[in-house]
Amino acid sequence: MAIKTESAIEAEIKAIFSDNSPWVTLVWDDPVNLQSYVTYVFMELFGYSKAKATELMLQVHNEGKAIVSTGSREEMEHDVARLHEYGLWATIQRGDLA
Amino acid sequence: MAATQGFKRHGSHSYVITLDSAESGVLINLCEQLIELLSERVDHGHEDPLAAMVGITSHDSPPEDEVLHRLLPDAYADEVAASEFRRYTESTLRQKKEAHAMSIRMALKSSPEGDVELDHDGANAWLGALNDMRLALGVRLKIDNSSYEHLELLTPDDPLRGVYAVYTWLGWLQESLLEALMSEVD
Repeated sequence: MAIKTESAIEAEIKAIFSDNSPWVTLVWDDPVNLQSYVTYVFMELFGYSKAKATELMLQVHNEGKAIVSTGSREEMEHDVARLHEYGLWATIQRGDLA
Repeated sequence: MAATQGFKRHGSHSYVITLDSAESGVLINLCEQLIELLSERVDHGHEDPLAAMVGITSHDSPPEDEVLHRLLPDAYADEVAASEFRRYTESTLRQKKEAHAMSIRMALKSSPEGDVELDHDGANAWLGALNDMRLALGVRLKIDNSSYEHLELLTPDDPLRGVYAVYTWLGWLQESLLEALMSEVD
């Protein structure tokens, strides 16, 4: 076990109290949405390359869900609203629970 | 019903299709049904006009209708967080979905010959609305990963057969628009 320096501990405490710990946007598998559509939406909303968007789409399809973005709670709420606009099944949760 | 060719790319940022009158009619009808369904969530009884103006509704519970719930889903697994988020965002989401459906309806109503030309934003609005129609029909058809086989075998007199035919046609139309859009990206 690594011994934590004082500053590392301080940073950890600060993160807990400042609520800056990352949140994530999850997209869930949906039997209706076309694979090409899900890929396109990831490219369009997040600016992901076709390769990265396809990889995420396949993860949603094969594993039932995928984390598509990470950031502050406010940023994730923005992302989820856009994903809902396009009809993707998306939710927000704390990064440490995903 | 696939008498028409799908969407084709025309120039750098333009996507065109010519729909026959039956196809246009089906799409206009679906747009109108979608707009009507979404209007069920319009908040008539809001007591605070300022809240209504900035898009805050008194809806904090999800729609009971299964289709509306799929179109306006929960953003959090946690019920309290989900209802708080819904109160502040549902009316904006509903209005965007209505706007997408209205843009298809308007494009078709203003083109009796069925010629449609879309720019990038227009294409996105069509994709969103076509997807909402598929989601709505998908709920009614109880689509899941194992139901396609069963739906392929519906008898001609089964009323769901026609619904399924429209559902597959919408998927084909959406796919053709996606192919036209993605052909630029490759």
